[in-house]
Amino acid sequence: MKSVTHAFVERRSRVNELLDIILNSYSQIFFSTHRPFALLIMLVTFIDFYTGLFGLISVLTAAVAGIMLGFNRVTMRKGLLGFNSLLAGLGLGIYFSPSVYLLIIVILASLFTFLISVSLQGVIGKYGLPFLSIPFILGLWAFMLATKSFEVLGVSERGIYTLNELYTLGGTNLVKAYEYLNNLTLPDPVRAYFFSLSAILFQYNLLTGIVIAVGLLSFSRIAFSLSLIGFFIAFGFYHLIGAEVTSYDYSFFGFNYILSSIALGGFFLIPSRNAYLWMILVIPFVAILTISLNAVFMQFKIPIYALPFNIVVMLFLYSLKFREKYSYRLSEVYFQHNSPEKNLYIFLNNKERFRYKLFTPIKLPFFGTWKVSQAHDGEHTHKGVYKHAWDFILVNQEGKQFKNEGDYPEEYFCYNKPVIAPEDGVVEEIIDGIDDNVIGQPNLKDNWGNTLIIKHNNEVYSKLSHLKKGSFKVKKGEDVKFGQIVANCGNSGRSPYPHLHFQIQQSPYIGSVTMDYPLSNYIVHEKDAFQLKTHSRPEKEQLVSNIETSDLLVSALSFIPGQILEFKTEADSIVTWEVKVNEYNQSYLQCKNTDAKAYFENDQNLFYFTYYEGKKKSELFYFFQALFKLQKGYYQNLEITDQYPLYLTYPKAILWFHDFISPFLLLIRSQYSVQYKKIDDAITPSQIQLTSGLTNYFLKKKINEKSFRITIDRDGISDINITDDNRQIKLIR
Amino acid sequence: MEKLKFERPVINRINAGVPDKFGMSTAIQPISHIDDVAVEDLLSEYGSPLYVISEKSIRNTFREALSAFKTRYPKVQFAWSYKTNYLNAVCNIYHQEGSWAEVVSGFEFEKALANGVPGSKIIFNGPDKSKEDLERAIEHGSLIHIDHFDELYEIMSLAPKTGKKAKVAIRVNMDTGIYPHWDRFGFNYENGEAWTAINKIMPDPNMELIGLHTHIGTYIMTPNAYAIATSKLAALTVRIQLKYNHHLKYLDLGGGFASKNTLKGAYLPGSDTCPTFDDYAEAITGALSNSDIQYDHMPTLFLETGRALIDDAGYLLGSVLANKRLLDGRRSLIIDIGVNNLFTSFWYEHHIVPSKIKQRDTEDTTIYGPLCMNIDIIRAAIQFPVLEKGDHVVIKRIGAYNMTQWMQFITYRPKVVLIDLEGKAHVIRENENHESMNALDKMPNHLKEIQL
Repeated sequence: MKSVTHAFVERRSRVNELLDIILNSYSQIFFSTHRPFALLIMLVTFIDFYTGLFGLISVLTAAVAGIMLGFNRVTMRKGLLGFNSLLAGLGLGIYFSPSVYLLIIVILASLFTFLISVSLQGVIGKYGLPFLSIPFILGLWAFMLATKSFEVLGVSERGIYTLNELYTLGGTNLVKAYEYLNNLTLPDPVRAYFFSLSAILFQYNLLTGIVIAVGLLSFSRIAFSLSLIGFFIAFGFYHLIGAEVTSYDYSFFGFNYILSSIALGGFFLIPSRNAYLWMILVIPFVAILTISLNAVFMQFKIPIYALPFNIVVMLFLYSLKFREKYSYRLSEVYFQHNSPEKNLYIFLNNKERFRYKLFTPIKLPFFGTWKVSQAHDGEHTHKGVYKHAWDFILVNQEGKQFKNEGDYPEEYFCYNKPVIAPEDGVVEEIIDGIDDNVIGQPNLKDNWGNTLIIKHNNEVYSKLSHLKKGSFKVKKGEDVKFGQIVANCGNSGRSPYPHLHFQIQQSPYIGSVTMDYPLSNYIVHEKDAFQLKTHSRPEKEQLVSNIETSDLLVSALSFIPGQILEFKTEADSIVTWEVKVNEYNQSYLQCKNTDAKAYFENDQNLFYFTYYEGKKKSELFYFFQALFKLQKGYYQNLEITDQYPLYLTYPKAILWFHDFISPFLLLIRSQYSVQYKKIDDAITPSQIQLTSGLTNYFLKKKINEKSFRITIDRDGISDINITDDNRQIKLIR
Repeated sequence: MEKLKFERPVINRINAGVPDKFGMSTAIQPISHIDDVAVEDLLSEYGSPLYVISEKSIRNTFREALSAFKTRYPKVQFAWSYKTNYLNAVCNIYHQEGSWAEVVSGFEFEKALANGVPGSKIIFNGPDKSKEDLERAIEHGSLIHIDHFDELYEIMSLAPKTGKKAKVAIRVNMDTGIYPHWDRFGFNYENGEAWTAINKIMPDPNMELIGLHTHIGTYIMTPNAYAIATSKLAALTVRIQLKYNHHLKYLDLGGGFASKNTLKGAYLPGSDTCPTFDDYAEAITGALSNSDIQYDHMPTLFLETGRALIDDAGYLLGSVLANKRLLDGRRSLIIDIGVNNLFTSFWYEHHIVPSKIKQRDTEDTTIYGPLCMNIDIIRAAIQFPVLEKGDHVVIKRIGAYNMTQWMQFITYRPKVVLIDLEGKAHVIRENENHESMNALDKMPNHLKEIQL
């Protein structure tokens, strides 16, 4: 019985895969993987039945070939290896009249194009460039040039009989609608726009154009607006240079501008003001290339298809790779989500949340809570190239740093206190043997005093200075771990009173200039309040400490691959999540019922979700929102805020309209916050309560909110209470 | 011209002005005010004798101690040793300062609960814990410091019935290089008894070992003894980490810090010889920081300091009852403070001074209490100025143990007054009287009638 179910599940997933390969090949024409859009495109290809059929046959051919030859399933599923074959099939299908011979030619052309796609991916893929529609252009050229000598193929005249086709498809009503649309008095440019869209599918009719435009709009506001902008810039450019083009001619290659505009402004670059501006400058290139290439290719009586678009987009993308300085303002898309909106919102979110992900997690170099007596750009010695340094001292409750009169180093609280390695590394350099100074008499000769340099990696070194003579617990070349005591605080070198000097530098020498490098995470202690700082720089007068993790939180948030989390909902149904790791070493929770995935990162001190994919009705989505970001120490009333990716949590209706302006301006915000509310016992806690919440804002106005109450006990997360609008949902372990 | 006051003649051996190695003989400094409140006023308002406690002194001393540790080690928690002084007002000053409660009996446990201390912030020490006491401690989630195997077995059998996991620590005694070696509290470290106890607790599902405790002695003059004790506890902690992968939450170094009182037989005054909080803190935290315990699992340091925190804050005020000349010619002074009020006079050469001084000359004096007992001696021999009947004396540093070990003997116990931070006096314990003393007495019927 079990194996039957298993087989069924497997078959279903195979059918799903095949559907993905086919449908995404349609939507990939517009770089999309949006299913409704794919269905729409597929539908309009069937306005001419045989064209549609040959298109479908060529996609199927490519799909079967791909599966049989064993190409990368993920790439195939995204439709990346199929859309060129589809275009080739459509091109041939509309040009020749249907016959068995055409069928053979189409299958061959599809295969040929498919092979070009795969090869091009190999050749230019390693330059990090997309092959766009080059395979189809090459394939179609090859076949079109060759077919001139194929006697058996007859040129189609079906273009004339479109109405017949439509009649068989949709009866009188469809024909009427088609007629109505074609006779619609639209301004010339608008007609040309729609015709251009339809020309992408080798058609020349308004209906197809309008359907595609609607599909594009529903799929992506950014792509839609880009299509308009691209088209009309070119249109304006033509008028500007006074080129004589008829509306018909124009629509024949107008899609080049539309595709270039969508590709550059929305897909391969993060949609942004700069991307749009560049696009405005680049579209005229496409226009010029269109004219010039046309002049060349007309000699061979072959159309240029989308060649100008391909050349310009690749040219621009390739040039960008040689930039020496990365800019957030004009950023390439490194992981293609096949939606300009998703690309944009994820980029904006990642920019805020993970820009420091690759940084070495340097922490504070001491036990307990110390005070910053001099910060970056300090008033005493942290100046010029040495400005990115900190001085730390210990103070008592009254804020004094010494007892009695402070005449001797021993009277200073920080004196002789352990100094720890701020992160794992290797001891690079030790200077020892310099005596402590008399208070108020710094030793200007040995500026840094007794000093320790730890190498964390080739570009990040940390330096601890003014240490106590003979207090070193490590030797040069020794490995050190974060938290390991390396020496004691002293008063040697240019130090008028005992303090700990701490700086991060790029080179391993004593006297190297400082580097502006944020500390990974620490807690700022205020009167009756705590603040978590991540990737920030401690400021003057702040009382700071490393995060002291709470065992309860650490064990509740340690998700080990293979671990199963089970929660009962109020309806007594059970949701089951499994902890998994994928081939990119990303950890995620996967819901067994809905297949949804919530990706997370988990380090020593922080737990946070990075990404969610799948059904939003899954309880896992609530879990994702509730535990979006946590630190693992318990600090009473500490609050952490963060931003959710907008496309996941913001109300669709408002977001839909906002998408149009999102590349330039964000008026909306989806905010996460968590408060550390209650602990039953500070030393041996058995229960911790957190409350978190999601609040969506439009400017400063609250749109909606959700709140979560999370209870953690010794066995992990015991329950989550969710208030979503007025709905109460409970997840109980 | 006002008539000069009469000064009694004093006969003293002439000391030819040569100072001994401690300098010239000490001039007596009278104490006329406590936190700016006149001793005379206190006595006239609340009667004699009178205990006075300075809130300012309590808070200052506590903060000094806390600061000594906190500036050296990030996780420090004090627990107020109830037996040292369990007047409710006193306890609550410590609780306000953040101290937990350290109790050694069911009575103290009840007191702590009544003072509003959450059960989970009570440390239960001591060799005498009844079945009921243990049940209550488990119920409240208090930290039970196990003293002996019989107690361990009792908890083992009790815990499953309460349905709660008992939070326990063991008391460890050890050789810290000092004499006397206290071996009566807890399990011995050197002979492996402590490790045996740990191995009995760890597998028990109803007990959670969360800390280790030691009470190495009292009035410890050598901070290094604490360093040794800390190292030994840390070694046990690491051993538990290695064997059970279990991280202890705290190490409790108990009490035993010396106050500034001078022990009987001491050569030099305590105020000159006793280590400071900084000395103790340096020894303990130094040993802890340099131990092999992992950085992420450094335990909280618990301290149950009693005496050193409160001794300075307590004063005992009294009045002179009579002057007497003893057979050997020594002067003796009888005051209304006896050993029933000043239990610690058996251990200390208490610092006693007049509230005001009329003449500078001092005579070798024996100060007796008012009891009809020969042992009632406050100071056997002290250079003291001549006082007259009705004059007042002040005894310093009596805050520890006297208000818990006092005896109701012969007479009623006096009032206790607290001087708050604004210098306002509050009675925090009334004096006993006929009614309160008789309240607990029961008279069998056949004894009710007497005829004389």
